Amino acid sequence: MFNIDFNGEFAAFFIFSAIMIIGAVLMVSLQKVVHMVISMAGVFLGLAGMFVLLDAEFVAFVQVLIYAGAVSILMIFGIMMTNHRGAKADPVKPLHETLAAIAALCLFGILFYAIRTTDFPDAQPLQAVEDNTSSIGELLYTGYVVPFELLSVLLTVAFIGAIAIAKKGEE
Amino acid sequence: MDQFTQTAWLIPLFPFAAFLLLTALGRSYRRAGVMIGSVGALAALVMSLLVFFERLDPDAVDYSEGFNWITLGDYTLKIGFEVTNLNSLMLIIVTLVSFLVNVYSAGYMKKDERITVFYGYVALFTFAMLGLVLSDNMLVFYIFWELVGVCSFLLVGFWYAKPAARAAAKKAFIVTRIGDAGLLLGIIVLFWYMPGHALDFSSIHNVFSEGQSGAITMSITTSIALLLFMGVIGKSGQFPLHVWLPDAMEGPTPISALIHAATMVAAGVFLLARTFDIFEASAAAMHTVAYFGGFTAIFAAMVALAQNDIKRILAYSTISQLGYMVMAMGLGSMTGGIFHLFTHAFFKALLFLAAGSVIHAVHTQNIHEMGGLGSKMRITAWTFGIGALSLSGIPPFSGFWSKDAILASALDENPFLFVVGLAAAFCTALYMSRLFFIVFMGKSSVRQPREVRESSKSMTIPLLVLAVLSVGAGFVETPWNGWLGSWLTGGGEEVHASAAAIIASIAVGVLGIYVGWLMYGKGSIERGAAAAKAPWLANLLERQYYINEFYDLVIVRSVRGIGKSLAAFDEYVIGGAVRFFGFATVTGGRMLTRMNNGQTQVFGLTAVIGLLVIIAVIVGRRFW
Amino acid sequence: MLPSYLTMAAILFCIGLYGALVKRNAVIVLLSIELMLNAVNLNLVAFSKYGVVPSLTGQIFALFTITVAAAEAAVGVAVLIALFRARGTVNVDEFDEMRR
Repeated sequence: MFNIDFNGEFAAFFIFSAIMIIGAVLMVSLQKVVHMVISMAGVFLGLAGMFVLLDAEFVAFVQVLIYAGAVSILMIFGIMMTNHRGAKADPVKPLHETLAAIAALCLFGILFYAIRTTDFPDAQPLQAVEDNTSSIGELLYTGYVVPFELLSVLLTVAFIGAIAIAKKGEE
Repeated sequence: MDQFTQTAWLIPLFPFAAFLLLTALGRSYRRAGVMIGSVGALAALVMSLLVFFERLDPDAVDYSEGFNWITLGDYTLKIGFEVTNLNSLMLIIVTLVSFLVNVYSAGYMKKDERITVFYGYVALFTFAMLGLVLSDNMLVFYIFWELVGVCSFLLVGFWYAKPAARAAAKKAFIVTRIGDAGLLLGIIVLFWYMPGHALDFSSIHNVFSEGQSGAITMSITTSIALLLFMGVIGKSGQFPLHVWLPDAMEGPTPISALIHAATMVAAGVFLLARTFDIFEASAAAMHTVAYFGGFTAIFAAMVALAQNDIKRILAYSTISQLGYMVMAMGLGSMTGGIFHLFTHAFFKALLFLAAGSVIHAVHTQNIHEMGGLGSKMRITAWTFGIGALSLSGIPPFSGFWSKDAILASALDENPFLFVVGLAAAFCTALYMSRLFFIVFMGKSSVRQPREVRESSKSMTIPLLVLAVLSVGAGFVETPWNGWLGSWLTGGGEEVHASAAAIIASIAVGVLGIYVGWLMYGKGSIERGAAAAKAPWLANLLERQYYINEFYDLVIVRSVRGIGKSLAAFDEYVIGGAVRFFGFATVTGGRMLTRMNNGQTQVFGLTAVIGLLVIIAVIVGRRFW
Repeated sequence: MLPSYLTMAAILFCIGLYGALVKRNAVIVLLSIELMLNAVNLNLVAFSKYGVVPSLTGQIFALFTITVAAAEAAVGVAVLIALFRARGTVNVDEFDEMRR
C-alpha cells in the first residue's frame, strides 16, 4: 500500500508531513505558550502545502490566510490578554496523562488498522482544473448558495457575539 | 329425614361466627362476649345432638357433601364434610365439653380482663376441632389439624405475661409440629400412592379395607401408617412426644379441660380411628401402635404417682389414658379406643374443671398446700370423687366399662399388654386416691382457710352435668351389650367380653384405691416408705424420667449448636460477603465521585475511553 | 496516495486529541481542537481528489469547516477572556463548576 514510486508528489508529501508532525509534537511538548502557537502556525502552513499537493489551491490559500494568519494571531492575542501572571509549571498528573496518551494511541491504532484494511478502489483522481478558484466560486454560488449564505449569517453572529462576550466584563 | 345431617356443615360455623363476632367486638363487651361464646357453643351442641339422634336410626347411611376446591388437570381437590356415626359421636363430645367449658369459664375467668379474647380463642378452637371432625378428606383434615395446633398455642400461652406460659406455648407448638411433619409426609405418600390420588376417607376405606388388593404394597402401607401415627404421637401426647402436655398446664384450667378432654389430644385418637383401615392393613403398624400406647400408659401413670402439682398429675393421667386409647386401637379394638375417648372426655373434663374450682378457691396448684377441702367444697369434692372413681375404673362408673373393653380385647389379643394395662390401671387408681385424699380429706394446710368456699354456680353446674355423664356414659357399651361397637363399626367388630378381665380390672382398681387410702387417707403406711426404699425411683418419677433434661441435652443443645454454627456462617461468610460487596460498592462509588471532579478534560478522557470500549466491542466481534 | 493522507490525518487528529485532553492552558486546548479540525479538513480534501467519486464538493466542505472553525476560535477566545476576567486564570483544571 505504501510502496509508491518515489516521485515528486511523494517527496513533497514527505517533507510536508515531516513539518506537520514535528510542529504538532512540538505544540504538545513545548513549555512556553507562545512557542506552541508558533509551532502550530508551522503545522498550518504544512497543511496548506499539502492542500496544494491535492490540487486544492483555493483551500490552501484560505488555510494560510485564516489559520496561519488570523487564528494564530487571534490565539497569540488571547494568550497575551490572559497570561499576566506568567507561566506556572504544570502540576504533574501522571495517571491522567498516561491514560490520555494510551487512549490517543489506541485510537490511532484503530484508525490505522481501519485505513490499512480498507480496500480503496482505484478511481481516477480528480483532474486538476485550470482555475480551481473559479470552479469553487461557481459551485458555491449555484449548488451551495443556501449553506453559503447561512454560513455568512453564522460568521456575523459569532463575531458580534465574541465582541459582546469579551466586552461585557469591562463595565 | 336427613335434614339435620345435610346441614351438619353449619355446626362448625356457629363457633366460628362467635369467634368473628368476639374478635370484632373487642374487649369492652365482657358480658356480651361470654354470652356470644356460650350461645355459639350451645347452638353447635344442639345441632350436634339433632344430627346424632338422626344417626341413631340403624338405616342411616354415611352422608358426605362438598364442592370442588382446586382443579389441576385431571385431578380435582374437594373440600367437604362427611357425617358418619363416628363423626356424630365426636361432634357430641366436642360441642358438649366446649359448651360446658364456656359456661364454666364465665365464672373461672370472671376477673381476667381479656375474657372476650379468651372466649374468642375457645370458639376458634371449637371451630377447628369441629371442622377436623367433619372433614371428608385428609387435606382438609390436615388444615384443621394445624388450626387446632395454633389454637392450643394461643390458649396455652394465654397468660403470656408469664415466662413459663410463653415457654409452654412454644413447646406445645414445636413438639406437636414434629409429629405434624410426619403426618404431612404420610398424607403426601398417601396422595402419591392412592389410586386417582384420592384423599377422601371413603376412598381410603375402600382401598385399604379390601385387604391388600394390590393397589398399595405392604411396605408402603406400613410406612403411611407409621407416618400418620407420628402425627398421633405428637397430638395425643404419646411417648416420646408427650413432653408438651404437662407443660400445657400453664394455660387457664378450662383450657386444660378442653385440650385434654375434647379437642387437641382427641384429634390424634380420632385420626387413628378415621384412618383405622390403613392401620388394620398393616400388622407391623398395629403392633407399633399398640406397644407405643401400652408403654405410654404405664410410663405416664408411674410419673403421675410422684407429682405434686394437681394439674400436672391430671396431665400425666391424660397421657396415660391416651396411651390406653392408642393401645386399644393398636389391638384392633377401635370401639374400645373410641369408647374410652368418649367416657374419658367426660370424666377428665370433670376432673379438670373440679381441679380448676379447687385452684380458684385456694390459689395454688401444689396438692400439699391443700387438704381438707372436702367439707368446704362439697360439690367440687363429690364430683371430683366421681371423676376419680370413674378414672380408676370402679364399676359402675363409665371409666370402668371403657377400660374394661380395652383390657378385655388386650387379654384376647396380647396378654403382655393386658398385664401392662392392669399395672397402669393400678397406678391410676393409686395416684387418683392419693390426689383425692390429700386434697379433700385429712388436715387442712391451706394458708388462708377462711377464704376457701365453694365456687359459683356457673362453675359447679358444669361439674354436676359432667358427673352425671361420667356415671352414665359407660352404659352404651357393656360386656353384654355391644351397642356402641355395632353402631360405630356396623357390627363388624366382635365384642370382647371376659369375666377374667372384669374381675382383674375391678380387683386392681379397688386394690389401688385401698393402698392409696392406707397411705394417704388412714396413714397406716408411711407416706415416704416407698420413696425411702427406692429414692432413685422416686426421684426418677418426680423428675418425669428426666425426659425434658434428656431432650434438652441431646436435641435442644445439638439443634441449638447447629443453629449457632449456622448463625456464625450467616454472620461471617454470608454477612461478610454482603459487607464486602457493600464496601466494594461504596469504595467504587467514592472513586467515581473523585473522578467526577467537574474537570472537562476528565470528562473528555472518560468519553474517549468509552468510545474506544464501544469500538472494541463492536469491532472485536470480528475476531471471535 | 490516499492511505498516506488518511494516516497523516489520523496522526494529526490523535496528537490534537492528546493535547486537548492534557494541556492545562485553555488557549492551547483550543489550538489542539483546531488541529483536530485541520486533520478532518485534510481528510475531506484528500477524498475530494482520490475518493471513489472525485469532486470539488470535498474542498467546499473543507472551506465551510474552516469558516466554522474560525468562528469557533473567535468565540472561544472571547469566552476565555471573559473567564479570565472573572476568575483570574485560564487553567482548565481550575474550572470545576460542572461537578455541581
